[in-house]
Amino acid sequence: MKLYEKTAAELSDMLRAKECSAVELCKDIIERTNAVEDKVGACVTRCEDALQKAEAVDKAFAEGKELHPLAGIPIGIKDNISTKGIRTTCASKMLENYVPPYNATVMNKVESANMIVTGKLNMDEFAMGSSTETSYIKKTHNPHNLDCVPGGSSGGSAACVAAGEAIVSLGSDTGGSIRQPSALCGTVGLKPTYGSVSRYGLVAFASSLDQIGPIGKSVKDVSMLYDLICGHDKMDATSAYREYPGTFVGLNNDVKGLCIGVPKEYFGEGIDSYVKESVFNAIKLLESNGAIVKEISLPSTEYAVNTYYIIASAEASSNLARFDGVKYGFRAKEYDGLIDMYQKTRSEGFGDEVKRRIMLGTFVLSSGFYDAYYKKAKLVQRKIAQEFSQAFKECDVIITPTYPTPAFKIGENIDDPLKMYSGDICTVTVNIAGLPAISVPCGKTESGLPLGMQMIGAKFAEQTILNTAYAYETLCGGFSCIPDTL
Amino acid sequence: MKIDIQHIAKLSCLHLTDEQAEKFEKDMESIVTMVNCLPDVQDELTLDVENAMRLREDIAEEHKFKREEILSNAPQVQSGCLVVPKTVE
Repeated sequence: MKLYEKTAAELSDMLRAKECSAVELCKDIIERTNAVEDKVGACVTRCEDALQKAEAVDKAFAEGKELHPLAGIPIGIKDNISTKGIRTTCASKMLENYVPPYNATVMNKVESANMIVTGKLNMDEFAMGSSTETSYIKKTHNPHNLDCVPGGSSGGSAACVAAGEAIVSLGSDTGGSIRQPSALCGTVGLKPTYGSVSRYGLVAFASSLDQIGPIGKSVKDVSMLYDLICGHDKMDATSAYREYPGTFVGLNNDVKGLCIGVPKEYFGEGIDSYVKESVFNAIKLLESNGAIVKEISLPSTEYAVNTYYIIASAEASSNLARFDGVKYGFRAKEYDGLIDMYQKTRSEGFGDEVKRRIMLGTFVLSSGFYDAYYKKAKLVQRKIAQEFSQAFKECDVIITPTYPTPAFKIGENIDDPLKMYSGDICTVTVNIAGLPAISVPCGKTESGLPLGMQMIGAKFAEQTILNTAYAYETLCGGFSCIPDTL
Repeated sequence: MKIDIQHIAKLSCLHLTDEQAEKFEKDMESIVTMVNCLPDVQDELTLDVENAMRLREDIAEEHKFKREEILSNAPQVQSGCLVVPKTVE
């Protein structure tokens, strides 16, 4: 087994047992990236100083220093997370040459743990999309079938782990952007509770829904990386005030007595029969090992996509108003006066999907429409959150499909925004309610495309969903996320 | 629902050509028709009391960035200032 095929947890032990060095591991990742990146296209920027950083880790190990368990582990970073001195494009022409003068809080944590940042990863432009096709920079291909999308918006983050171009990665999730590409690429992806991971330095899309989270090959890896990045941060006003005891030490794969809620609304029309079957099989496996399964109802689910697109677009229209060609980013070459410069800069700098969302957000907040759209959506948001709170009085974890279908073909849905939006039905509710959720692989189609299962927890119940995911992973004999065919 | 796309584009500080306007108008009308389907919920909007935000201490802190760092990403800079088109005649 090559080093790039191993998990962070395995490599962490190997580094300590001197079975491999951080430099060997880093070289293996670089070689693998050289071999497959042309086909996959996960990377926007490769970090040339990775080997130097790996050398420093080996030196520290040789000196007998106590290092974080993730020290020396190669990590890829979604290109909307600010990295000091490393270009952060948001996969947009608007920020094509933007080099942040500061680190996001999560990057300070990644650096303090001596993880090796190997590259910045492709995404949908400003995280708006579900296929990574709206990227201005390049197309990313699904490592399991290069004709298919990797999902989105953190498509590069999931594809790079599934292709062996990094051991773990960070993504961001506003409506499913960590979980959906994880489902489509066969990786494990965690969207943490809103407020548990600092958003400082994450380029804002919809501030009340955005959350940074980990992607990896195993539940242990995701748990380790989550433990590293969570925590209160005074730089983020929405950061929760609480202590995080660490999920990795608490990982437990015993599901005896665990109550699993299965909401019927997530298994209706539009959900592929293959997806339904594989999720039900996974639930049965957990049940046969002592979990209690209960059918529940979340009746407002049918309004979730509409609610999400109103709230997310409203916030996006406000957040993206800062891109005006003055302080940073792209500026149009020719213009006549200040207003014309703003308009031309934004018209030339943003892609069509970003423009659609800015205009939708502007519309729902505009005079005469605010009450009918935005206020109404905020009230439905409360109702959706209340239904989840009620459900968690009856069960510990809720299991659903992550995405209605396996990965679709590149180009198949890109000209049909409504079809693309409606696919987010299984994931947006979690952001609307501010809950944690994890996507784990739960089988493949006949043609070898991965399918994902989502486990949703109550607020700050990351440990419960990680334990459930860990139990499933153990019962099914582990996940193999790197395809042999690549 | 009919959308005045040029009005929305203007509010969004975007410029659309006639051809783009036609396409975006069609897209927007179908998206707005979709999101329009929401129930009336009889409730009030309130803040999250369980995880309430707190006000930070009102203490002046040193700037942690140098002027050059902040200006390094600006499209046009002159004498340490951002350059914009003339706004006052």
